[in-house]
Amino acid sequence: MFANIVNKNRFVCSFAIMLLVANWSLGQTLSQKIDAEVAKPIADFEKKAAPLCSDLEFIRRVTLDLIGTIPTVEQSREFVKSTNPNKRSELVDALLASPAHAWYFAMVLDVTWMERRADKHVPSANWKQYLRESLLANKPYDVMVKEILSADGVDAKTRPAAKFYLDREGEPHLITRDISRLFLGVNWQCAQCHDHPRVEDYKQDLYYGLFAFFNRSYLFTDAKTKQSVFAEKGEGDASFQSVFDPAKVTKSSGPKLFMRAAITEPKMEKGKEYEVAPTKEVRGIPKFSRRSQLANELARGDFEPFARNGANRLWAHMMGRGIVHPLDLGHGDNPASHPELLDLLAKEFVKAKFNHKEILGQIAKSKAYQRSSQVPKGLQDPKPEEYLVGAIRPLSEEQFAYAILQASGFTDAERMILGAKVEEAALQAKLAPQATPIINALATPAGQAPGYEARVEQALYLANNGQLQGLLAPRKGSLSFRLSEIKDAKLFAEELYLGVLTRMPTEDEKKEVEVLLGKKDVDKAGLIRDLVWALMTSIEFRFQV
Amino acid sequence: MNCNYACKTVDHGLSRRAFLGGVGGLGLGALANPLAAKGLAIQQKRVLVVFLAGGVSQLETWDPKPGVVTGGPFRAIPTSVPGIHISELLPYTASWMHKLALVRGINTKENDHGKGAYIMQTGRRQEPANEYPHFGSVCSKLLTEDKNPLPGYLNITPNGSGAQSSKDAAYLGPKFGSVSISDGKAPANLEKPAGINSEAEMQRHLLRQNANERFYSRRKSAMTEAYTQTYDQARMLMEKRGLFDITSESGKLADRYGKHDFGRHCLLSRRLLEGGATFVKVSHTNYDTHHENFDFHIEQLGEFDRTFATLLEDLDIRGLLDSTLVVVMSEFGRTPTINRNFGRDHWGTAWSVAMGGCGIQKGAVVGKTNATGTAVVDREVNGGHLFHTYLKALGFDSKKNFYVDQRPLPMADPKASPIEEILL
Repeated sequence: MFANIVNKNRFVCSFAIMLLVANWSLGQTLSQKIDAEVAKPIADFEKKAAPLCSDLEFIRRVTLDLIGTIPTVEQSREFVKSTNPNKRSELVDALLASPAHAWYFAMVLDVTWMERRADKHVPSANWKQYLRESLLANKPYDVMVKEILSADGVDAKTRPAAKFYLDREGEPHLITRDISRLFLGVNWQCAQCHDHPRVEDYKQDLYYGLFAFFNRSYLFTDAKTKQSVFAEKGEGDASFQSVFDPAKVTKSSGPKLFMRAAITEPKMEKGKEYEVAPTKEVRGIPKFSRRSQLANELARGDFEPFARNGANRLWAHMMGRGIVHPLDLGHGDNPASHPELLDLLAKEFVKAKFNHKEILGQIAKSKAYQRSSQVPKGLQDPKPEEYLVGAIRPLSEEQFAYAILQASGFTDAERMILGAKVEEAALQAKLAPQATPIINALATPAGQAPGYEARVEQALYLANNGQLQGLLAPRKGSLSFRLSEIKDAKLFAEELYLGVLTRMPTEDEKKEVEVLLGKKDVDKAGLIRDLVWALMTSIEFRFQV
Repeated sequence: MNCNYACKTVDHGLSRRAFLGGVGGLGLGALANPLAAKGLAIQQKRVLVVFLAGGVSQLETWDPKPGVVTGGPFRAIPTSVPGIHISELLPYTASWMHKLALVRGINTKENDHGKGAYIMQTGRRQEPANEYPHFGSVCSKLLTEDKNPLPGYLNITPNGSGAQSSKDAAYLGPKFGSVSISDGKAPANLEKPAGINSEAEMQRHLLRQNANERFYSRRKSAMTEAYTQTYDQARMLMEKRGLFDITSESGKLADRYGKHDFGRHCLLSRRLLEGGATFVKVSHTNYDTHHENFDFHIEQLGEFDRTFATLLEDLDIRGLLDSTLVVVMSEFGRTPTINRNFGRDHWGTAWSVAMGGCGIQKGAVVGKTNATGTAVVDREVNGGHLFHTYLKALGFDSKKNFYVDQRPLPMADPKASPIEEILL
């Protein structure tokens, strides 16, 4: 993970300047432009809005959003102590430049694109490694999407990227639905069977235009190797009827993305469609592949829905909701809360050559991101899409699990064992086996869009399961170990609250700790376990505040 | 607004929620209010699905055809309803026919186990990019009150993985997914952790609640409230874990249910339904009799018959039957043709389902197959019609939509409709 971030100020400085320069236009940074756009719809925005959050709130918030865990006690203390006026901005850059960001963002992309499907043809480990290495190498977003949409699983080198297709069993309807939702921000599920009855923009022919890139594709399993790849035929139409049409007129569509010209297909003589004709034993290779046209057609800067969806999802990652919200309901009847902001972010994302870090960094540096979540006096029921106050938003399952490991001091203890110059991969190998059961206990079902829903089984796990209780047991370097060594009640309370909630305890909270510690015959070990557990299961830990 | 978050009891979040919902507790005041009383009536409806896994033979159960080439060796016997005959393998159930209704004209056009089960549990055919919620999830959504600590869809599996399947709820949301009661054992994590005594347990929850109170003094949101409620719900569920323990039932009753898995699981079903569960699915396995259909049905139905009749009687005596929709279903029936291994194969073309209790006419029969049972000749229905029927029996307009993110999603297949002939 990242060690002593604020001490690396000098190192990251030049990097930060590079980023800033890239975004300067007319003397305004993107984060300033973001703030101007966010303020636009509301008169006297700045007067009404909440003040910026405290340094401790900021370091917790941004550490969670950029590397998926909470800061250590030491990092928090140093950050507060630092008098560097640019410390927030420098922290953002350092986090984005750290390998921990690539590890974390690979998890985010995995959950977004695979939606926790169980492994079928491509092992999850290979796929995550592909995502991680791409991110470590600063591979742009459009290049990654192109690779994913081009992979067929034949070449071992690109096979991990074929997980998107292969683990959806090559099912053309499922792939059509998920490409439109995940890469274009539109959900055409209804349009599979008819024009959407209420949404003007969701037409059946748009759906079948995208579907036509896939209707000839099929999963081919080699009899000898048992390996499945994504193969394609050289013939077959994407024809459809509307279930609402009493006349049952059959229409047909060639490959075409909405707002783009139809793909011109070469005329093929009957019987001469193939390089290699498909049989039961042989994977067919058509002379003209419809599917191979898609990656270039879709993952490009001048295809607006692609850039807008990418930008909207980055915004949602940082802010808890999309400018278009829900993220896959981009259509005329569900307008963006800030259309010009979305245009701006999409444009800048393209200009930054689809480097997601620039957009994330600029959002993190905006005032919109840094608002306190405490509603200022006099402000009545601020709406989430107004961004007048910081959002109270749930941690993702991954953020929550890794925050538990950091708060309990499991991460600290492992880092102590591994030594100061620990490689990210070595540390991650220790953390993953503890994070996974927590993630599984909280996760949304396979194949469904990730989202937060409180369920009683989650509370039962967090309250009673032995795995989580085990993390609370003292071991060298862990929080309960450190607490057991502290005699002074006030210092004890500080370590506890900084460690778990990344803030100093209030007077009331110090008092509560003092009273409990001062009780006659106190079972100190038991008390520590229960205090840490209580804060970990409190609202303030489960949500970004 | 002045929010009072000072109360620190377990019930705090829940009673407040119930108050906001307009149904305040179970006192006389609530009953005097017609709206609240209606709410209570809805709350009291329950569902029990008995799933005969593998595909039970309609010819050896609800639609016997003795004396014809496809009929097999068993006779048909009269039941407690004059004119209705069922297989002689179900003598106990026959004496409860006056509480049941039969649908004998089912054609689901599906002979695959997985796809057939999907049709029967969701009322839809499987589609590649659409998932539909299970009947249990729909009931969990429509019938379970927020304050009920029991999960809304309990699935007692013979020896399942024990995992919960929040996926069953599809677009309704994981909260309405099924929770597996593997071999009748209580769900995971219902016991407090080793090393934490009752005093410590009280203290750590109090500390958690104190932290939340302090948080609420500064900020609040509906989402955070739902989160804290799950802990209250968890603690109430922990208190109810005795419900999963059938050893407290009388030995005599347990004997009547049967000591075999299905008997124990049915007894547990009744305990759960009586204890406030909304939807219980219990399975009996395995009816996939490609070989020796007749021997296997003697054996399987021997277990089923007495246990099921006991369950109906037990529910009836306790006053639960009229408010509990009971359905006996399979993924499909079995072929009229007897294969050379004396087996019957998969058959979705002409088969039967039995149901009774809440909203269902007593002693009704709808649908008819031909003399040899090879085709439906009257009132053909499919899984969609059955799904509509269940919902209507429970008092819902099955033609209505769920709304998820602006998308209207029909509660049941719009191409089908309820089977009015067997509805009250």
